[in-house]
Amino acid sequence: MSAYLARRGFHALIVLAVMSFLIYTLMGLMPGDPIDIMLSSEPDMTTEDAARLRALYGLDQPLVARYLNWLSALLSGDPGYSRLHGQPVFDVIGPAVLNTAKLIGAAFVLAAAIGVGLGLVAGAMPRSLRDYAINIIAFAGISVPPFWVALLLILVFAVALGWLPAGGMNLDGTLGGELRHLALPVLALTVASVGGYTRYTRAAVIEAMRQDYIRTARAKGLNGFQVVVGHAMRNAMIPVVTLMALDVGTLFSGALITETVFAYPGMGKLIFDAIMGNDFNLALVALLLATFMTLAGNLLGDLGYVALDPRVRLDEGTGR
Amino acid sequence: MTGLAAAVPERRVLVRLADHTPALLGGLILFVTAIACFSAPLVEGLLGIDADAVNLFNRFQPPGDGHPLGTDEIGRDVLVRLLQGGQVSLLVGLSAAFVAALIGTLVGVCAGYFGGWLDSLLMRVTDGVIALPLLPLLIVLAAIDLEKLGIPAEIAGSEQMSLYRIVFIVSIAGWTTVARIVRGTTLSLKQRTFVRAAVSLGAGPGHIILRHLLPNLASPIIVATTLSVGNIILLESVLSFLGLGIQPPVPSWGNLLTNAQELIWQAPMLAVYPGLAIFVTVISFNLLGDGLQDALDPRSTA
Amino acid sequence: MTILLHRIWPVLALVLALFGNAAPARSGDLVIGITQYPTTLHPLINAMMSKSYTHAMTRRPLMTFDPDWNLTCLLCTEIPTFENGRAEREKTPTGQTGVALTFTLHPDAVWADDVPVSSQDVVFTWEVGKHPQSGVAAGETYNQILAIDVVDEKTFVMHIDRLAFDYNDFAGFDILPDHVERSIFEADPANYKSRTAFDTDSLNPGLYHGPYVIAEKVSGSHIALERNPLWWGDAPAFDRIVVRAVENTSALEANLLSGSIDMIAGEVGMNIDQALAFSKRFGNRFNVVHRSGLVYEHIDLNLDNPILADVRVRRALVHAIDREAISMQLFAGRQPVAASNVNPLDSMHDGALQTLEYDVRKAEALLAEAGWDRLRDGVRVNAAGDRLSLEFMTTAGNRTRELVQQVLQSQWARVGIEVRIVNEPARVFFGKTLTERLFTGLAMFAWISAPESLPRTTLHSSHIPDPSNGFGGQNFTGFRNAEVDRLIDEIELELDRDRRRALWSRMQEIYIDQVPVIPLYFRANSYILPPWLDGVTPTGHQFPSTLWVEHWRDNR
Repeated sequence: MSAYLARRGFHALIVLAVMSFLIYTLMGLMPGDPIDIMLSSEPDMTTEDAARLRALYGLDQPLVARYLNWLSALLSGDPGYSRLHGQPVFDVIGPAVLNTAKLIGAAFVLAAAIGVGLGLVAGAMPRSLRDYAINIIAFAGISVPPFWVALLLILVFAVALGWLPAGGMNLDGTLGGELRHLALPVLALTVASVGGYTRYTRAAVIEAMRQDYIRTARAKGLNGFQVVVGHAMRNAMIPVVTLMALDVGTLFSGALITETVFAYPGMGKLIFDAIMGNDFNLALVALLLATFMTLAGNLLGDLGYVALDPRVRLDEGTGR
Repeated sequence: MTGLAAAVPERRVLVRLADHTPALLGGLILFVTAIACFSAPLVEGLLGIDADAVNLFNRFQPPGDGHPLGTDEIGRDVLVRLLQGGQVSLLVGLSAAFVAALIGTLVGVCAGYFGGWLDSLLMRVTDGVIALPLLPLLIVLAAIDLEKLGIPAEIAGSEQMSLYRIVFIVSIAGWTTVARIVRGTTLSLKQRTFVRAAVSLGAGPGHIILRHLLPNLASPIIVATTLSVGNIILLESVLSFLGLGIQPPVPSWGNLLTNAQELIWQAPMLAVYPGLAIFVTVISFNLLGDGLQDALDPRSTA
Repeated sequence: MTILLHRIWPVLALVLALFGNAAPARSGDLVIGITQYPTTLHPLINAMMSKSYTHAMTRRPLMTFDPDWNLTCLLCTEIPTFENGRAEREKTPTGQTGVALTFTLHPDAVWADDVPVSSQDVVFTWEVGKHPQSGVAAGETYNQILAIDVVDEKTFVMHIDRLAFDYNDFAGFDILPDHVERSIFEADPANYKSRTAFDTDSLNPGLYHGPYVIAEKVSGSHIALERNPLWWGDAPAFDRIVVRAVENTSALEANLLSGSIDMIAGEVGMNIDQALAFSKRFGNRFNVVHRSGLVYEHIDLNLDNPILADVRVRRALVHAIDREAISMQLFAGRQPVAASNVNPLDSMHDGALQTLEYDVRKAEALLAEAGWDRLRDGVRVNAAGDRLSLEFMTTAGNRTRELVQQVLQSQWARVGIEVRIVNEPARVFFGKTLTERLFTGLAMFAWISAPESLPRTTLHSSHIPDPSNGFGGQNFTGFRNAEVDRLIDEIELELDRDRRRALWSRMQEIYIDQVPVIPLYFRANSYILPPWLDGVTPTGHQFPSTLWVEHWRDNR
């Protein structure tokens, strides 16, 4: 077990190291540096100003040297300052992670609850009218452009009906206000992710229903739904747990589109702006954090898999 | 998931697919959509209009009067633009899915067939790519400067470049699913008698992969690819929303929709058409893929 | 299933009761929607419109241009001139003619922590501005100041190293609080940009001296302002102003319609065509005000391209396009066609000059004269068989520009000019393509300028970017005209307004005749205001309307 964990941890480190270099290089390949971007908004800047600022931000050094500087600083515990925000990187990331966790966490729970419920119903009676209907709903959610859904929700619930705020952070500090402001973005995210859970659960239930012990249960006269809830659910949960674990990473990488449309300051928007604004420190640390959490989620998923299914043993990490 | 597809004879696949109403419907819709989109020049000729011709004095016309769906914000025919956008979106979706499948198959077969350190390496790379936060990476890739990579300026600067760029970006990020499926299937095929027999008869790896493995890998690959086309069309619309997708004047459903959402109060239908087109097409691809999966999986309860 | 539904209804009702109707806006509050969240809040580092818009309510620059485009004091008492004796010619240590300007700060001006705004703050600001490591971008403003003599707490004399026509223009000169920032700056100048109290301690009242102070800051979302009890000017109407950032403009509109925000700022708000569409639909519920301003939308022509080197082709390009129709049809006439780079509202504008009108025949005649006299596949070719084909670039994702671009492409196609559209993300376009002059044909973008701003960096031949000068300067067209160079130098040193106007007039004449740039229009800002809000006066230049926020009135 511990050898397994050590190996997984080692692999994760390699992935993180390779990725940090990759992202640094790719961002370096983006045209123009931060100073060029500044130039376009400050007509009074001179060439000397630009050269002076490049030196100040260390942009006059070659990319690899900058990467090594950054890496050694990070390893010595200094993630540096965000150039855009003029603050320590974690001071910027902290609130964004919290916001994103609230938003995506809520959507995560809601989508899983609805998705598993629908999946159980559909899987209990495959090829029934109800199954078809649920299938179509599941596919519909994952087949719409997410920004279209978000705008539609705003138009209906905020503009036409006036029930909920169109977006942004809560200003009045009450729990009710907080919930009201979260409602639409959470709904938008749920629409997009409920389909995945439904489909997985449905497939898992169908698979489980083929097992002998289920056949026995049916032969005893239990109806489909009782069988599903009483017997098939545990087995059916295995792939669902895996899927949920895989989604842990998104808690930290955020939901760019939803955050943009609902003006919600989460990780997705933060990372996007950091990349577009060439804020190396911020973009890298945020992306590494998200990747790390995804890897951790994968590991969690694999461990959960083992815990739920005694037939599976841990080996090279190809359990899935 | 990695069903032993070879066990299902072709004729039965068709029968099973025909039984699968949603899949059939999806396939039919896709067929009609594709025909319609690629007959855009024909429609242009029939209507006697030029979709690129701007007419500032004929903006936001309602349907009718030679424009079946009206005109857009600079007086172009909405129907023809929509069909042309469909061509681009479908092309991007299909070619990116194809390239991704190609890469995925190559990686998967190599990993599965040769095994050992190559398998370990390739699968670690695959895991790594899966762990990457996709959207931010796509953003970086969409913004990098091709000339810094040594691509000549005349290619990097052509009107179609954004199209190739998207295909490239999506396929280098999207091959992992196919790779995993193919590897799994290859591993199990390797144990089957016909492969073992071929090996014992002295066939080289190239021969075995081409003649024995690939034909049997076809169905899972087709299923995965079909399912991914829809996702890619969606992804293109998201990139367009971020300003990093297909660039005008080349129309795509994604950029038509993105442009139209700013005009939602003036001409809501301009947003409804491409939005619906994306929705219907993507859901059709998903239903078709789902149906294919069921039909090709011998264990499924048809 | 039906039973289930019956059970769900009470739950739904409960949920709706919890959410209730949209929160009623507290009276005395104003929520302003903008499209960009200001990143760093330091006034001198990284200029952003959303930052100046917000800070104009919490801080005041030394002076500014008012809505009628006249220079006016905000923190000072009187603008130094030779007539009032506050400006005096003097010799600089290097023997040049310089000028000494005497300023007096407003006697009641005080930071919100009850420390007077003093001459010492000005000196500190200058020290930061000229320090090479402070991170202040435009160093020139501070480097031209040779010395500042502090006369008393409120009076100081600035010694400037030159005497130019705009010698007393310190519009937008922002002052930093010596008592809060000096210790931070002096401890580590190189890291001042990331240690400044503006970002680490944004709610510190000592940073502000305007009618409002910052009461809450949620990065990426909003900034809430509350009254400054020590504000010395007219009392503002609102107790609390929230500036809320919603980047997606459709969502911004929806926020307005649903009551989450009260108004949309014109300075960092919606595109004109979007605002026009909005006012058509909701003009009865909101006041939509358009103000044309100093943002000059135009197309730079690369004069090193052999096709464009011929002035006849450049003139033909202008004759071939119907800019009037674009302005009328797409912008309802709210964005007037530009004749040259000088805004009609600018006092240096010469409206009597003959401009190049829309005349397709003239365009065709000029092209034929330039040797492009035969057609092949609808595109003109010359005797050598070259096609009259040009590349047309702009910033990708700017919908208005993309629309205009496609209209122009279609109009040029009518006279046989093939134009290929190749757009790039703004950061590529501004970061590299323009600055390194990599565009081969046409490049559409905008200049933001101040009233009577001299086009030295954009038209003077010494400002053509190339590798030898490290791609400095913004004369992207590669325009070389000895007379324009001379005019720019003369205007800079000409203190007499009328003589200056004559020089400006000649410069506009050459600009129109030589067409280094195709002028399109001056962009308009669109303000969407609730009917109960009075007193918002759009300025049309880069100094925002919030500089007069204390004159806004709430008529609810």
